[in-house]
Amino acid sequence: MAPGEAADDAALVRASQQGDREAFGTLVSRHASSIIGVTTRMLGPTPDAEDVAQETFVAAYKALSQFQFDAKFSTWLYRIALNKCTDVLRARRGETISLDVTDDDGETRWEPADHETPHCTLEQDELACELDRNIRALPPLYRESFVLRHVEGLTYDEMSAILGVHRNTLKMRVYKARNLLCQSLAHLDGVNRWKTTKLR
Amino acid sequence: MTGPQRLIQRFIDQELSGEERIDLLTRIGRDQALREQLIDLEHLLVKVDRLARPAVPEGFVAGVIDRTAPEPKTFVVRRATEVLWMPRVFRWNFAGAMVAAGIALLAVAGVTTRVLPGLPIDRPGAMTPPAPATTAVLIRLVVLQPGARTVEVAGDFNGWDPTRTPLEQLSGGAWTVTLPLVPGRYEYMFVVDGKEWIADPFALEQSDDGFGSRNAVLDVRPPIESSL
Repeated sequence: MAPGEAADDAALVRASQQGDREAFGTLVSRHASSIIGVTTRMLGPTPDAEDVAQETFVAAYKALSQFQFDAKFSTWLYRIALNKCTDVLRARRGETISLDVTDDDGETRWEPADHETPHCTLEQDELACELDRNIRALPPLYRESFVLRHVEGLTYDEMSAILGVHRNTLKMRVYKARNLLCQSLAHLDGVNRWKTTKLR
Repeated sequence: MTGPQRLIQRFIDQELSGEERIDLLTRIGRDQALREQLIDLEHLLVKVDRLARPAVPEGFVAGVIDRTAPEPKTFVVRRATEVLWMPRVFRWNFAGAMVAAGIALLAVAGVTTRVLPGLPIDRPGAMTPPAPATTAVLIRLVVLQPGARTVEVAGDFNGWDPTRTPLEQLSGGAWTVTLPLVPGRYEYMFVVDGKEWIADPFALEQSDDGFGSRNAVLDVRPPIESSL
């Protein structure tokens, strides 16, 4: 987000705090794509993803009076969205999400739930679909870091503000996620689909 | 994470200095496995970069706005509001009208004796009773006469003149007049259409007029401030 847009966000937030619902509608329009992107990457293309995205904005609206302007509005939204995603994932698993995937442990036994597995259609890019599936198969802590870094294009400092985790820890999580994805997609070499794209 | 792997990760994150970049390029020129690792990572990020962003569902923004709308009133509050503000048409019979007039008169008298002191009084004539206080209060008389063309009041306060104090017609057949009266005891009657004399049947007190009829009696008390 451009600095000017962030400043504009602050003005819209102030207007929303005064009860200007049209201003809040503008904020929702502006950030809907990003938040839906994150919830969909985290939860899969399920109704949950859209519900959580909506709940994110509703929760933000209800808590607008607490917004202190010491962070960007988008940072705040990402934080709310990821917390809600964590709640949904916990509910799906019927237990607390495993947090024992330490940053020194490259191995993981995480498997996506069946309903998270997308059904690729002939019209879809099968490789993109496979990549999507493997991103969702990442352990949640790796997944959220990878999505924020490489899908949403945030800096480690921005990610640290969102997740409340030191940037070095986040770098390690992203490193693990990249390696896991490379490993999981290596089988595509055999059908000459994975490395057919020329490097930019 | 080995030294070369750390360099690769920092290369991906665009954090290498010029010297570090040269060091990495030198290493991958000599190490095929390292070179393939870097190429794999670059392939991955290119593919990720090309992932389509999920579309915002139609009606998403409107849905959020709907969900952030102010809470509707509860049924009880909404129903109470409807009942209080619902327009009504009252149908009066004589008895009911007289009860309402009496209640209104008492209520107005009770309020006005406390909040409207100090107004000058048009002193009645010879029949005006002696007033123990010099301050006046506003007394509003109300009577319901839906079929009347004129209603006036005659009493101690206006020399029993049936043409001097007309009442103003309100909606619903009610008639009213506001009188500034000094505290004291007054007898009065309403005069309907200039010929029919009626007493206020629900006045707190009535007295015999000596001619076979009964007058209503109004006891105007001094304002609270005057009595202190």
